[in-house]
Amino acid sequence: MKKAEYKIPGGKLIAVELKISKNIIEYVKISGDFFMHPEESILDLEKQLKGVKTEDFPRYIDEFFVDRDIILYGINPKDFKQVIKMALDN
Amino acid sequence: MNETWRLIDMRIEDAPTQMSIDEAIAKARLKENNPNTIRLYRWNPSAVSIGYFQSIEKEVNIQSCKDLGVDIIRRITGGGAVYHDYNGEITYSLVAPVNHPKIPADILDSYSKICGAIANGLKGLGIDAAFKPVNDIVAGKQKISGNAQTRRYGVVLQHGTILVDSDIETMFKVLRVSDIKISDKMLKAVQDRVTNLRRYLDRDITFEETKEALLDGFEKTFEISLEPGELTTYEEELVNELFEKYSSEDWVFQR
Repeated sequence: MKKAEYKIPGGKLIAVELKISKNIIEYVKISGDFFMHPEESILDLEKQLKGVKTEDFPRYIDEFFVDRDIILYGINPKDFKQVIKMALDN
Repeated sequence: MNETWRLIDMRIEDAPTQMSIDEAIAKARLKENNPNTIRLYRWNPSAVSIGYFQSIEKEVNIQSCKDLGVDIIRRITGGGAVYHDYNGEITYSLVAPVNHPKIPADILDSYSKICGAIANGLKGLGIDAAFKPVNDIVAGKQKISGNAQTRRYGVVLQHGTILVDSDIETMFKVLRVSDIKISDKMLKAVQDRVTNLRRYLDRDITFEETKEALLDGFEKTFEISLEPGELTTYEEELVNELFEKYSSEDWVFQR
């Protein structure tokens, strides 16, 4: 299990747990004290990242937030990328 | 003539019931064309609430909660972990349509307005209170209130905690403070970042006095009159339905 925790400038915290097998994201769990409406879309984001090659994950995050009516508060798409990158580097 | 909003005053309930009531009011607001609502309430038994996205293992000392008889619940809203001390904390909630003229459409602006109402109430008690983005209210430089908002069912639901005389030592027994947040600092320093009304004012303060100040803050800031009311039959039905979700392990331990 790869883990990372990242304090977003401005105060919020984001953490991630990843399972990687043969360069593929097999499991991802994101947690933290940020805000995202609707809240359940975090499940869709995690689903979106499952089965993705580790080098491709930033593109999938960008794509996820396009065309979706998701409001982020206290966090930005780049923070999701940052914490996953940190976990992969761990 | 000021607009009239409903006040549901100081119900004392357990954690799943309180969270069910907040969601029920939000869910029923447009369906039944109910008035906008402000609630003040207390939690019995005392409870830890965690944000929708938080990891329970990471944020809560589950064993300490068991030992101390403190409930644990996951909120529908994001944000951080809160210790709702039955003997020292008041929670508020506010429900109004997202397009209501008194609720700014922008998220930050809406936090600023609603937290501003709380801060104005606290100012009436002589506290140097102010909204501090992302979602806190500070007294001087110390946190005295945390707030969390969601938008669904066509409404804004915001709830938050006001620390009146919370036992700050117990708070830090039941909550885990992330290593990253205390890096280079002692736990004592973390505890010093939080205060409560009693500590700040250095005098005894009752729930009644706090309540009056908060209601005054809401009425003046929103230019409304609050009229005491009860939940509708439909809202009570929703509370019963939602209770099951909020009290289930699947919900509380989902993350």
